[in-house]
Amino acid sequence: MTAPGIHTEEFQVNMGPHHPSTHGVCRFILTMDGEVIIKAEPVIGYLHRALEKICENRTYQQCIPVLDRFEYCTSMSCNEAFALAAEKLGGLEVPERAEYLRVIMLELNRIASHLIWFGTTSLDLGAITPFLYGFREREDILDLFEMTCGQRLTYNYIRVGGVAKDIPPEFIPKCKEFLDKFDAKVDDYERVLTENPIFIVRNKDIGVLTPEMAIAYAVSGPSLRASGVKFDLRKDDPYSIYDRFNFNIPVTHNGDCYDRYLIRIAEMRESARIVRQAIEQIPEGEIAAKVSMNYKPPEGEVYSRIENSRGEMGVYIQSPGKEKKPLRVKLRGGSYNQLQVMPELVKGHKIADVVAIMASLDIILPEVDR
Amino acid sequence: MKKLIDAVKNLVIGLLTTGKHLGRHAVTLQYPKEKWEMPERSRGIVVLLSDEETGELNCTVCMLCARACPSYAIRIEYEKDEKKKRHLKDFIVDYNVCCFCGLCEDVCNFAAIKLAPKYEFSTLDKSDLIWHTDKLQEMGRDVPYEKPVRKKAVAKPAVKPAAKPITSETENKSTAGPEKTTEDKPVEKPETKSETEQPETKTPDKPEANVPVEIENKDENDKPAGEQI
Amino acid sequence: MEITGIFKYLYEQLVATGLSQTWVEIISLVVAAVIVFGFLAVMALFLVWWERKVSGHIQQRFGPMMTGWHGWRQTIADAVKLLQKEDITPSTVDRPVFYWAPIICFVAAFVAYVTIPFGKGLIVSDLNIGILFIIAITTFTIISLLMAGWGSNNKYALLGGMRSAAQVVSYEVPMVVAVLAVVLFAGSMSMVDIVQSQAKIYQWYIFRLPFGPIAFIIYIIAATAETNRTPFDIPEAEQELVAGFNIEYSGMKFAMFFLAEFVNMFTVSAIAATLFLGGWQGPWLPSWMWFLIKSLALVFVFMWFRWTYPRLRVDQLMEFSWKFLLPVAFANLILAGWMKYSGWFNW
Repeated sequence: MTAPGIHTEEFQVNMGPHHPSTHGVCRFILTMDGEVIIKAEPVIGYLHRALEKICENRTYQQCIPVLDRFEYCTSMSCNEAFALAAEKLGGLEVPERAEYLRVIMLELNRIASHLIWFGTTSLDLGAITPFLYGFREREDILDLFEMTCGQRLTYNYIRVGGVAKDIPPEFIPKCKEFLDKFDAKVDDYERVLTENPIFIVRNKDIGVLTPEMAIAYAVSGPSLRASGVKFDLRKDDPYSIYDRFNFNIPVTHNGDCYDRYLIRIAEMRESARIVRQAIEQIPEGEIAAKVSMNYKPPEGEVYSRIENSRGEMGVYIQSPGKEKKPLRVKLRGGSYNQLQVMPELVKGHKIADVVAIMASLDIILPEVDR
Repeated sequence: MKKLIDAVKNLVIGLLTTGKHLGRHAVTLQYPKEKWEMPERSRGIVVLLSDEETGELNCTVCMLCARACPSYAIRIEYEKDEKKKRHLKDFIVDYNVCCFCGLCEDVCNFAAIKLAPKYEFSTLDKSDLIWHTDKLQEMGRDVPYEKPVRKKAVAKPAVKPAAKPITSETENKSTAGPEKTTEDKPVEKPETKSETEQPETKTPDKPEANVPVEIENKDENDKPAGEQI
Repeated sequence: MEITGIFKYLYEQLVATGLSQTWVEIISLVVAAVIVFGFLAVMALFLVWWERKVSGHIQQRFGPMMTGWHGWRQTIADAVKLLQKEDITPSTVDRPVFYWAPIICFVAAFVAYVTIPFGKGLIVSDLNIGILFIIAITTFTIISLLMAGWGSNNKYALLGGMRSAAQVVSYEVPMVVAVLAVVLFAGSMSMVDIVQSQAKIYQWYIFRLPFGPIAFIIYIIAATAETNRTPFDIPEAEQELVAGFNIEYSGMKFAMFFLAEFVNMFTVSAIAATLFLGGWQGPWLPSWMWFLIKSLALVFVFMWFRWTYPRLRVDQLMEFSWKFLLPVAFANLILAGWMKYSGWFNW
């Protein structure tokens, strides 16, 4: 690439923790030769809040608001992962209505999280407008959450044994209204970005993740499905009542940024389908098993995992038996593995592609750093 | 050539899609002048509720909220009189750490504490964010709530289901989690207590109020309220 | 020196008062400069406000609303704020280079207005090399970008400066070739002549198929790149390099770059309106109003592009310019030449 006789040197650029496009505080030390990246080294830990240690000093119900902050874009999933683990430990049976409510909230939260992803991806690539369009839809979802549990971001709603509160009567009509117009809005988003030649040329064949590499690094979620591996915990290891719903798992085969984009857009539509079915089928009943504030499960250890919008989210709890606080809580988040695979993906690309790849992998730093 | 035409067509479609929003009305609110109507369950600031007639606080200093708070934001100072009953000296909520999770509201059996749908309380000084009883009570005066229905005491003593030690009866069924609605707090959370720690002196419970799973809570003597850990 | 336009009117008035020749020239130059500068300063203020409103409404929000009716005083408030800001100059910068960069950018943006006709007879000086003069002056901005990048003594600024210099130079060429097609057809480089050759609406160069629309589109794309607007705004790519070459500038110096960008945007729109859309001509309304309407319509198109499209990567941008735009522009020029030579298209 360089003419003979010209001396060039590699130099290091710090894509620092304060950066508008590293979704959170993540630092990359990029070794570059001109515009091309030779090596990228991520430095993490800027957002470490010792959540696992905090959980060792809290009762099980108190852990739920703490773990809300584990990944605040999909707070319901964090609640669910922990609640599933705690229920498995104690052998609790969750009532039907609670299960349906959980699924509705989880899928709405998945749509909300994908809307954040959509907004930030287009923002990173320079198209600022779809960010606001995505957030306009997200406002409707957050209004639904607010009317149910009172909060818009960290819900503390899915508790051990069931859910905290029942949905108010105006929830279902408003939800139906949202779902009716949501498909048309997603079509709008696609019209602005999907076939846009500039978007395509920025994303096609950038950051190609082969299926072997994805499996080796334990990447999960939409990034894995974009590489051609059809694996979704909702179908392959069903938890809660996902086996009662009809939905598809979108899979593509190229593994580049454009495919990951297409998969997430398709997932938004599928989630809307699931919510629609859940609203039809929801039965009456109790919303929670009777669980005390100081829940004391018997001794044991359990690992439970769910399909988050960023991959597999898992919680491992070790209980010493008859204690109201867990002995050890270990959290697994999908973004960690995707951040690990990033240095492989950016080799040979240019600095503008680092941003595009990071956006398409949908990495959130709180999940990496806990 | 076809690719070129497709590219141009898609560029123009993109322009038209954003262009059609020019004709639509904005979806944003002009905040200080127009405010959003908060839903009734919205979790805003913590307030202390008072009785409508007498104006006194509903709080009986049972310390459950202080124990339930995951951020240790609630600190209660009390004094005991000759009958070992607690009287409230100061109820302090530290908004520097409160995470607005609502667990304190969920465990309270007396409708004494609630998260009201108010959110405008920013200050310029961190120390102004530590609120004491008077401010909490004043902010709670116009917050509507449902008074929990207290059942009359039934004859004691409770017949305990077999094989359960008397002392460690169930938890106050102030189950932090599962509640149907905010209104009907199952008030009969009666526990007989024999421990000094146990806050309520309520009527004995009915058998079905027992939690099927967890049993004792012998070690209620962790953090007496009032101390931050 | 040729005396035409406003200048001519002033000149004659002053000669009538009996001052000496040099004084008359100096005074009339100064007055003309002040008038143009005043107009452009107001226009820059207006454009900043308009951009914010347009972007707001495209995004279904309001934009500035608090400062005056629909926020019309917002830019003034911003300018006052920028004046109050501390002018931080890092200690390791190359001082003369750092200080002169924004000044050169600002000056280059304004000097181009010497030959732009604001209306019938409203031109500072109708040079007979009008469009060539404008193109030559607008290349000064490249120098200022390079100076800003180098003088800031910062890796990010240097990267940004080099990229933007490469970009502007690459897009100058297709722009000039597209303009050449129009000049070829009009037969003159003087702006007033070019406008007068578009006397009827079907004679506007944008409608002179087939070379007109192609030249217009090439010019618009190249102009977007010249003024560093999305989809070509690599130098200001906040998301990657955090403001590129003006990363170390604060306060009034930053304001100069910022205003120069908006003035440049108006310049290229004005040139496009003059060359392709018939300049000041139009029925019923006064000529300067038509000029403003046409220029502002094109400015709106630029803003619309900015808020719709993502940005191109720098190598894709260069590839697009050299491998696609330039050959098309040359082919277009040859086509225009043939059309003029054949004489069949002279309507």
